[in-house]
Amino acid sequence: MNNVSRRSFLKTAGLATGAAAVAASPAVAAAVQPDAVETTPTGPLPHEPIIAIIRDVERGEVTVLSGHTEKTYWDKVLVKRLLKAAEQNHRQGRKGVA
Amino acid sequence: MSSHREAPEISQDPVCDNTDVYAFVSPDKPGTVTIVANYIPFEAPSGGPNFFEFGQNVLYSIYVDNDGDAMPEIEYQFVFESSLQNPNTFLYNTGPIGSLTDPNWNSRQTYSVFRIDQKHKKGTAVAAPNGDSSVSDDSSDIAAGGGPAFPGKGKVSLLATDLPCPPCNVGVRSTPNYELNLAMPAVQTLPTGEVVFAGQRSDPFYVDVGSIFDLGALRPFNPAHVIPLAAANGVDDLKQANVHSIVLQVPIEMLTASGGKPTSVTDPDAVLGIWAAASRRKATVLHRESAGKAVSGPWVQVSRLANPLFNEVVVPLGQKDDWNFGFPVDDSEYLELVQTPQLQGLLPVLYPGVFPNLAGIKGSRDDLVAILLTGLPPGIIPGFQNYTGTTYADMLRLNVAIPPSASPSALGLLGGDLAGFPNGRRLADDIVAIELRAIAGVTYPLVNKSYTPDAAAGLLTQGIPVPATDGVGSRYMTHFPYVGSPYDGYDTPST
Repeated sequence: MNNVSRRSFLKTAGLATGAAAVAASPAVAAAVQPDAVETTPTGPLPHEPIIAIIRDVERGEVTVLSGHTEKTYWDKVLVKRLLKAAEQNHRQGRKGVA
Repeated sequence: MSSHREAPEISQDPVCDNTDVYAFVSPDKPGTVTIVANYIPFEAPSGGPNFFEFGQNVLYSIYVDNDGDAMPEIEYQFVFESSLQNPNTFLYNTGPIGSLTDPNWNSRQTYSVFRIDQKHKKGTAVAAPNGDSSVSDDSSDIAAGGGPAFPGKGKVSLLATDLPCPPCNVGVRSTPNYELNLAMPAVQTLPTGEVVFAGQRSDPFYVDVGSIFDLGALRPFNPAHVIPLAAANGVDDLKQANVHSIVLQVPIEMLTASGGKPTSVTDPDAVLGIWAAASRRKATVLHRESAGKAVSGPWVQVSRLANPLFNEVVVPLGQKDDWNFGFPVDDSEYLELVQTPQLQGLLPVLYPGVFPNLAGIKGSRDDLVAILLTGLPPGIIPGFQNYTGTTYADMLRLNVAIPPSASPSALGLLGGDLAGFPNGRRLADDIVAIELRAIAGVTYPLVNKSYTPDAAAGLLTQGIPVPATDGVGSRYMTHFPYVGSPYDGYDTPST
């Protein structure tokens, strides 16, 4: 079970933003950012979770759903980190019922 | 069907499936307009133990365009919440339900009503349909409904909350004296003047869908079909089906652009464009720990309806889902489908030799364009118009200056009754016969005086008995909510 809870999502996103502030390029950022650490959810799924939808990897285009709003951003660092977590999902190869 | 299970996607989401919309000047209160939006097709009255209810996390909308721009100046929103009084029983009710507060009633539903007033600049396109970009509105946060499902900004007013839905009509033991004890007490008058009801009713629509979708057959005309059978009377497939109705009655002055009550049929202020819709949040996450569903993002419209049979019969399968996501203001993309309807070409094939004149029509069906997409301009039919302008949009168009008919004809305008479809739509209007006759060419002389309709066109009927004046027996009521009492699960289907 690989859930991105609101807390872990925000934590991850916050780390990515912070890293981007000090990193000169995505390549450097990737070098200094650790992989996402898999954990078990520490609380229930929020009633209205924040959801990110990667639309275009190359452009770093990501749509964020939050509350009743939807906005699309260019954020290559965020997209890269989400992709990295997704790749971990696939590497671990877990399937089944959540 | 009018719009029951009319598109692939919505057929899998019945609580959002808008089956019919009706709009008429209230026969017993002619200073008001009544709008009925029905959802959940083919409700079997015995469908327990989890009887039917409106969807949670669904935004139900009734839209009114009062200035002819095909965009809603007024939207009424309905948001429902379900609750269990006793989660430790499998029973819908633990004894007879004698009132809306009876402790025997376990599984309940309440709702809130919002009104949103919007202003649009004429000619402005809908830039962000379907929630594909932010439609956030600061004022929307005050609404449990979350603000406009239609893109734009509006003034959101919470009109009422915790209004009760009646229970479903379970049966004579569980829901005795259903109308008196349960349905009528659920009729609510809001402080702002509207009257509302939301709950189970009998489906007012009548259709021989079993024959119509068996290769376009009408049983009375079976011998003339390309695969002939013996002639027979029609079968009303909704005769014992229930539906969930949202019924809204509004003083006319609260709907018109001027804020007045037009008295002249030719007054442009007299024509209202009306449609209904259902929307879901853009994302749903299923998870046990969140008790089923967590949702996020803006509302996305998944069903809409105005003119009966538009999406059902005019729009092809590959476009039906997209039509449900769209808005009337963008309906020009369906213009060609109305100008050259597929059914017009099919009728002469299905009934060889019966429709020679129809088969010869080469021009655009501008009569159908007027009926379905613009309204009929003044001067076409004496004493009538429901024209909203040049914007092609599928809306019911109701001229509120035309009073209710003392002797209604189920054929509406085709029957010489100016108060019936396509002037809005009344519960008992024989939509299938009206639209089949229109597509078969009966209305083509409105735009082509030299055309003579085929003799059969004016005779098309499903063969379902339709009282000429007062509808179809007890399925209708003469007072609010007008939609008949739901069939009960004990007695239906009858043995």
